[in-house]
Amino acid sequence: MSKVESTEVAPNTPAAEVTSQVAALREERLFLLLSIFIGVISGLLVVSFRMAIDWLSVLMRGSSPQPHQLRLIVVPTIAGLVIALFVRYVFPEARGSGVNQTKAALYIRNGYISGRTVVGKFLLSALAIGSGYSLGPEDPSLQIGAGVASLISRRFGLSRERLRVFAPIGAAAGLAAAFNAPISAILFVIEEVIGNWSAAVLGSIVLSAISGVVVARWFWGAEPMFRIPVVNLVDPRELLAYAVLGVVGGIASLVFTKALGWLRPLLRRQPASWQLAQPAAAGFLIGCIGYFGLPQVMGAGYEAIDAAMHAQFAWKILLLLALFKIVATTLSFASGTPGGMFAPTLFIGAMLGASIGSFEHHFFPHLTGSIGSYALVGMGVLFAAFLRAPLTSVFMVLEVSANYSIVLPVILANTIAYLISRTLQPVPIFEIFTHQDGLDLPSMEEQREESNLHLEDALHPVVVPVLQGSETIASVWNSMTRYGGLDDAPAVLVHCSDGLWYAATSREIESFLAGFAPDATLATQASEPPRPTLTLEQRLGPERTPVLFPDLPLASALPHFRRWPLLPITNRAMRGALEGTVSLDDVLKRYQQR
Amino acid sequence: MPTTIDETSIATRRLILRDALAILSLTLATAVLFAITLFLFRSFSAHRADLAQRWSQRGVEALSAHKPGEAIVALRTALTYAPGTPKYEQLLAQALGEAGLTDESYQYFMGLWEAEPGNSIINLQLARLAAKRNERAAAVNFYRAAIYGTWEGDGSVRRPEVRLELARYLMANHDLPSARLELLTAGGNAPDDYDRDMTIGQLLEQTEDPADAFVYYQRASAARPGDPAALDAAGRLAYRSGDFEEAHHLLERAYAEREQKHESIDSNADDVTMMDNAARILELLPSPTLPVRMRVVRILAAQAIARKRFAACSAEFSAKLPPALQALGTRWYGADGTAGATALLRNPSQQDSTMQLVYDTEVQTEKFCAAPTGDDALLLILATTPKLNLQPQAGRLGQPITPHD
Repeated sequence: MSKVESTEVAPNTPAAEVTSQVAALREERLFLLLSIFIGVISGLLVVSFRMAIDWLSVLMRGSSPQPHQLRLIVVPTIAGLVIALFVRYVFPEARGSGVNQTKAALYIRNGYISGRTVVGKFLLSALAIGSGYSLGPEDPSLQIGAGVASLISRRFGLSRERLRVFAPIGAAAGLAAAFNAPISAILFVIEEVIGNWSAAVLGSIVLSAISGVVVARWFWGAEPMFRIPVVNLVDPRELLAYAVLGVVGGIASLVFTKALGWLRPLLRRQPASWQLAQPAAAGFLIGCIGYFGLPQVMGAGYEAIDAAMHAQFAWKILLLLALFKIVATTLSFASGTPGGMFAPTLFIGAMLGASIGSFEHHFFPHLTGSIGSYALVGMGVLFAAFLRAPLTSVFMVLEVSANYSIVLPVILANTIAYLISRTLQPVPIFEIFTHQDGLDLPSMEEQREESNLHLEDALHPVVVPVLQGSETIASVWNSMTRYGGLDDAPAVLVHCSDGLWYAATSREIESFLAGFAPDATLATQASEPPRPTLTLEQRLGPERTPVLFPDLPLASALPHFRRWPLLPITNRAMRGALEGTVSLDDVLKRYQQR
Repeated sequence: MPTTIDETSIATRRLILRDALAILSLTLATAVLFAITLFLFRSFSAHRADLAQRWSQRGVEALSAHKPGEAIVALRTALTYAPGTPKYEQLLAQALGEAGLTDESYQYFMGLWEAEPGNSIINLQLARLAAKRNERAAAVNFYRAAIYGTWEGDGSVRRPEVRLELARYLMANHDLPSARLELLTAGGNAPDDYDRDMTIGQLLEQTEDPADAFVYYQRASAARPGDPAALDAAGRLAYRSGDFEEAHHLLERAYAEREQKHESIDSNADDVTMMDNAARILELLPSPTLPVRMRVVRILAAQAIARKRFAACSAEFSAKLPPALQALGTRWYGADGTAGATALLRNPSQQDSTMQLVYDTEVQTEKFCAAPTGDDALLLILATTPKLNLQPQAGRLGQPITPHD
């Protein structure tokens, strides 16, 4: 932080000023290069993170966890105690999934994520997931990537503005490497972290995400996470089956959100000593679920998702798995154990999808979609409804399966689930967590839905005098008299021969007319004797008012009122054709009406 | 002014130097991190591969021990450590099928098939599962895809085997003509193999194609000269096809081979009986190739045997004879039943008419009276056995054989 501060407090020496100019230029150049480094390093860390999870899982839960193995209860309980102690005393910032923490870093801490947080997130999330907590590695990977970006950018002493945007760049790289899905990672960061398509950072986000994925693929291979048969929609009515899945997914996401929204603050209100025991208690309960028959709900659960996609569970078991995964994830996350929500969300969705697919196949055998396709659509449905990232959910499904044929059912089911979830639970889960944590981060969903005002909203008909630039100064006086003089007009619009406009103040026009007016006082004010052939356009010079169109944002007009009294708004199709005018007063009044 | 330029220049140089050093250190850090990750990843991959190997071995052992439930658990674990390994996936799908989870297995194989539509093993498993699911068209398609697909180096052996399996499936579905075509193709494409030729021969017999079956028995015998099983099979086929001379010859050779090899003939008692019957039939048969006198003598002997059989059967009815027997009685009192040696020698068509009466008598009396024994039974065999030409291309066994494609 010290370096950042030193660049901010720029001493007023000439050398410091030049250094500041050079620094700005160099930042621009470093930006893309560092994005690649961030992507590569994030990718390497995410690969190591996944290895750590797998290693710890085999070490602690055995190579083939099965029901009635006592260690399924013992391991997460003890791991919970260790995690609680470390979170309390060593890595307090490692709590949670990582998405909100990254957003907080972006909006509150100027992109600052400490190295300790990165280490804590890595170690504690790996321990939690490896020991069987129902959490996923993706969101921690996102935060690890953001942390790497923050560390690197701080090393280079970049400006506060740059430091802030590096966090989402690293987040995209981490998520892309974890999911092996660059497009989804980019979209998620834009949908959930940044909230808008900023051209300034898009290139860097893409570069870092691709770098991260290249590294991850170098180690893990380029195979998609899940493979399902091609989906042939023989009968369009089959989409109804997917629509049912969308409805069920929307309701399930509501249950999941409500459960988390209720339990998390309840547990956080408990005394500090009891909070220390919460991860262990959650681990014990999750271990019991595994011990008594459903070890699949422990850990990230990708193996179980794959098994569900290959129709290896009956629909009743699939429903049970979905239900207990909601319970296990709620316990894991609400207890403050570090770990992500993505994998559990996908798990629940896959189980629901596969159960509905199996059910429909059983009772409507003519349906052609495979269980795998229903499971895959189910994953997207929960992602869209629970995490409220509809666009990401569609691309995520396409990327993790490398199967475009599923796109129609995915879009349909995701939209239904998203709409149901939004209607029944207006506040998204990440926003609920933010409020519970006492933060006030911007809601990306709200931002997306915000309707921006445009110039057309403040547009008024032309009521000021309009003059032609080709008129001579001598004839302007006559024209002005037709408008009743300059007394009531705040400005005069001059249409120049190049099709552009000039908004002149009354004072300017009055100065041009000096010498032609019958009023002698004006003539005496003129600095030089006017030439009768001089046109108004020549007198105005080359400057013109900016070209503005009705569809431009209302805010785009604001900077110009410092120079111009009035802004002509022209038609895009006909150069120079006036649609109306806006004044500063019009713009401010329009904003006040919102 | 010069001071400002100098300061600017120095500041810029410092910045460039600092950035260059920072990028260099970042590159080094990345390289070190990469090396560490690579080292850990190799160790990690080796450990996972070892676990996958161990669990897959357990799965294979469980499958061999017909414990599909255990195999499923083991193979699922193996796939956890080596996801997407086709061999393990195929074994798991197979285990699912063996555990009775046909639909699950079918779905699993379909997933694998998507990735490798030309893989013969996957197609074969899908064919078997489709057969279990009574999806006949799909089963046949998958069998065909398995035959024409890719095998792992043993295609020449596996393709005919799959074709035989397809033929069996078609036979089970009563599609004998298609099955026959598959069998002939399997035999024609495969190199000479005793076991396969015997199997094809037996299956061709079941598809009601004794002529081609006989050819394959011949090929089996040629592949393993003096093999009594092939000779027996061919002899039995010849016997059932009415070629008693060939049957006797083959069965006699088989008997001789067994004796020579000191094999027990108890297990082939039926063949010995068949051989004896064939010998006796040859003694009874009034073959058109015999000299006329000899043929007439045999007709008269058959006539006497049949007449006795008719009389014994008629005596079993105290009241009125059934219409069929009444009609036979009428014929026995007619020219066919009373024709003597002179009449038969003089009239060749009478020979055939008399023999027809003999055959009809054996057939009808078998319907109304007790089963015939002795010569009556043999005459009945002569009466009912179709006369087929079993040797369209080759001569007796042991002679060179043209493969029948």
